[in-house]
Amino acid sequence: MKKLEKNFTKMLLGWEFRATTLDNERGIFMNRTRVLLSAVALLLATGAMPAAADDIVLGGSAPMSGAQAEFGQSQIDGAQLYFDQLNEKGGIKGNKVVFRALDDRADPRQGTLVAQQFCDDNAVIGVIGHMNSGVTMPALDIYSECGMPQVVPATNPELMRMGFKTVVRPVANDFVQGALPAKYVTEKLGLKKAVLVHDKTVFGQGIAGVFKDNFEAGGGTVAGTFGANPEDVDFSALIASIKLQNPDVVYMGAGMPQLALFLKQMREQGLKAQFIGPDIGFTVDFITQVGAASAEGALMTFQLPPYDSSPELKDFAERHQARFGRAPGPYASLGFANAQVMAAAVEKAETLDREGVLAQLHGVTVDTLLGPVAFDDNGENTTAPMYLYVVKDGKFELVKE
Amino acid sequence: MLDYLLQQLIFALAIGAIYGLIALGYTMVYGVMRLINFAHGEFFMLGPYVYTFIFSGFIGLGGLAPALDSVIAIVASFVIVGLLGVAIERFAYRPLRAYGRLAPMLSALGMSIVLQSAVRVTIGPQPEHFPAIVPSQPIAALGGMVTTVQLGILAAAILLMVGMALFVNGTRLGIWIRAASESWTTSSLLGIRVNRAVSLVFFIGPGLGAMAGIMYASYYGIMQPTMGSVIGLKAFTAAILGGIGSIPGAMLGGFLLGAIETLGTAFLPLISGGLIGTEYRDVFAFAVLILILLFKPAGLLGETVSEETTVAKKDY
Amino acid sequence: MGNAVITRRLGLLVVLALCVVLLALVPKFPPYYVRVADSILIYIILAVGLNLVVGYAGLLDLGFIAFYAVGAYAYAFLASGQFDIHLPFIVILFIGAAVGALAGVLLGFPVLKLRGDYLAIVTLSFGEIIRIAINNADDLTNGPQGIAGLDRASLFGLPLTSPVHFYWLLLALAIMLCAGVYYMERSIVGKAWRALREDQDVVRGLGINTTTLKLLAFALSAAIGGAGGVIFGSFQRFVSPESFTFQESLLVVLIIIIGGVGNIVGVIAGAIVLVVLPEVLHFAAQYRLLIYGVVLVTVIVLRPGGLVSPRFNLGFIIRKVRTLWLSPSKT
Repeated sequence: MKKLEKNFTKMLLGWEFRATTLDNERGIFMNRTRVLLSAVALLLATGAMPAAADDIVLGGSAPMSGAQAEFGQSQIDGAQLYFDQLNEKGGIKGNKVVFRALDDRADPRQGTLVAQQFCDDNAVIGVIGHMNSGVTMPALDIYSECGMPQVVPATNPELMRMGFKTVVRPVANDFVQGALPAKYVTEKLGLKKAVLVHDKTVFGQGIAGVFKDNFEAGGGTVAGTFGANPEDVDFSALIASIKLQNPDVVYMGAGMPQLALFLKQMREQGLKAQFIGPDIGFTVDFITQVGAASAEGALMTFQLPPYDSSPELKDFAERHQARFGRAPGPYASLGFANAQVMAAAVEKAETLDREGVLAQLHGVTVDTLLGPVAFDDNGENTTAPMYLYVVKDGKFELVKE
Repeated sequence: MLDYLLQQLIFALAIGAIYGLIALGYTMVYGVMRLINFAHGEFFMLGPYVYTFIFSGFIGLGGLAPALDSVIAIVASFVIVGLLGVAIERFAYRPLRAYGRLAPMLSALGMSIVLQSAVRVTIGPQPEHFPAIVPSQPIAALGGMVTTVQLGILAAAILLMVGMALFVNGTRLGIWIRAASESWTTSSLLGIRVNRAVSLVFFIGPGLGAMAGIMYASYYGIMQPTMGSVIGLKAFTAAILGGIGSIPGAMLGGFLLGAIETLGTAFLPLISGGLIGTEYRDVFAFAVLILILLFKPAGLLGETVSEETTVAKKDY
Repeated sequence: MGNAVITRRLGLLVVLALCVVLLALVPKFPPYYVRVADSILIYIILAVGLNLVVGYAGLLDLGFIAFYAVGAYAYAFLASGQFDIHLPFIVILFIGAAVGALAGVLLGFPVLKLRGDYLAIVTLSFGEIIRIAINNADDLTNGPQGIAGLDRASLFGLPLTSPVHFYWLLLALAIMLCAGVYYMERSIVGKAWRALREDQDVVRGLGINTTTLKLLAFALSAAIGGAGGVIFGSFQRFVSPESFTFQESLLVVLIIIIGGVGNIVGVIAGAIVLVVLPEVLHFAAQYRLLIYGVVLVTVIVLRPGGLVSPRFNLGFIIRKVRTLWLSPSKT
């Protein structure tokens, strides 16, 4: 019997090894295989994640590696900061909040895997995600099927019109953000000729389109639309070509550092047009990278009043610095606000499960870092604020209406 | 219109110089190893990070004259990144030599992920401001304008390229490299230590990449962990365009790619009446590349490919 | 018949039974595991397709994902509100394969005389051109927005909606594909491909038309890519250019290399490892990609020929089973 057992094991494991021993490098191969197997075992062993039974588990997902890691990580950090703060005060109804952040790598396929993973884990009673509209789109199906309350950070207007009842979006969609500066430059500054630049992403192209519609409605003309790549850093040829159009306004729908690089190179070439950018550019880095002199006068929209305008915001920036060792990243404040909305829904929930949270999600009203939040039937924020800033003396200053 | 064309050509030269410089390192490594080194772009990315680290270290220690500090930091970055290249070759590529060409390619890809992620988790994913080494001043020239940084980059790149050409063609070490890229077997029979030639190439290639990275960062004023991936692909394209393995070819390919991209952006919308926008720039560049290769299957200055250089050859 | 033979046969039976039970049990796992299994199977199909070109014919193709994109968009065009066309899944599957093959021939015809890395960059360029074109053609493809709300697929009246349905479909397709490739490998064409990989000048010297051979490999692999794309589209019910980046092309190439080039068993192992690894590494948060890279390099340095030895291939397994069963004395 012993022999049978031995033979059997040999049979099970034998093929792989026997196949390789035909090679003359027998010893090395055996060793290498063994090293490899133990490495895999080690990896699997470290994979388990414990969470106590009465913890409130919330999921979050955004790209944390790859080209968009900066934005995704900042959002996750912001949310983490709020939940930390909450736990210091004793959590929600005395339960500790565990924030489980998973990386979706800005890839729709991996996004669906993350969504399914959250859905399968009954402990997860709410999700903040995803950052990219393209990743959120196929994931919505999965979340709604398992009744997962979802706070969406992605800003594509389409997302909220697909009829899913499990989602809310505290952040203003791209319509508001594109409309405000268009109105301002046509009405207040009287500028009538614009050129649009965008990076051919959902966000960049979408917001440039909204600006265009509103700019034209305000009596302006758009002299040209230029597409670039999201990773481009050299815009000199593009700018020289824009100069031929001689515009009053350049609206750029793109990310960072592209906004900064574009403006810097635009000023170097002596193109004096009014520059306008979306929320991503609202960082200190923008001004450093452009240079204070060149950045002067640039307009930028953002969902928040200035960081030093209220004690909460100042406190937020300081806490972020203390917790992560760096100033809040581009979407940190949005992540924080999303976490506030989710926590408020959990707080109001009668039962600490998905149904309980879902029942409260749409009706929740909360005073967030973004200002007061309440949702309409589609789950859009009814009061989503938007502020316009201008760079003055190397600082962002609020443009008063 | 002529002004416009001249202006665009100046821009093409500046960007082409950087492409050429990084393609140079790429092509040297390829010449000796026949390796599509996907990690090459990461050495480019490491350059400005190492520079900043050393430069700020110097300033922290009191520093010498600012100009001298920069020069020392530049040289040190070359050496450090070069040594890293040598180490990576030793541990990640050399064990795979007997296993064809796909295994080292995978290793290079893995290395690229490792280097980029390592910088991302240690320094952070955000783009960092990189102060210009030479202050940027726009100068009016030929009816257009050019910045001092652009001029500086062009000069430095040409200097490095010429220096490299002289080194490879005129010195003993250069002869090693050329011999090794002709044939490993023959070179070793002739008493050339091929491993040393390989190490040398893996010192110079990444070092040059780091130089290009520093120029690039000081030109655009930023550095970030992902900056190497796009540019690595461009360098590969430029090297192929010029004929991979050929040093003058890499320079030519770099300038040509710069010109194709710039002119594509500048003239595609004009010529097509707005039908084809600037977003088709890369399509245009790739299409030109394919066309050139159809007529010159070994790139512009490449030697006709012998069976030796085919991926297909037994190498798997 | 000795005792040893009986134990061996028993062992073999147990191993085979285990495999079947494991495959049959997958749908009983929570949906997440089924989805991961679906991902693995899709990548097995893609990698088996690409393996025809890279592993058998010895041509490095860095733009394979373009065919996958063509297939996925074929489904999006022909089964959604985009143009209000709603064809049945099975029809689009064949259309996708045909369009993929056509794209493969169109690309292959002019460029196949290129050798080595020149071919690699041309295929890479092709992949990028397709992706950028999809991203830019807003009127046709919605550009970066992608096309959402694709039809729920059904096959012969059976619904194809949940991950479990797709698991069975993909599993059946993958097995059929592996069997097909296995027989292809042993056919005269398969042998000609291998010869081509070893030395194309000799093959040409023998009077074989190398271009036709290469074109055949290209077209077949592109057809498989296209069909894979159709399934991906119907599974995800959303397509956007983000799914078809150069990184995805590289991933399929990596699967082949890390598993063992030219070996179907290797390709399967590679797909399992490279799809499961990032999932296992979720716990590492921002260190995930770093560890992933380290593992890649370590694996290839330790096993330069790929995880699965070239000798441990489908033929070897079948031979082993057959000899053990029919003439045990020989083993």
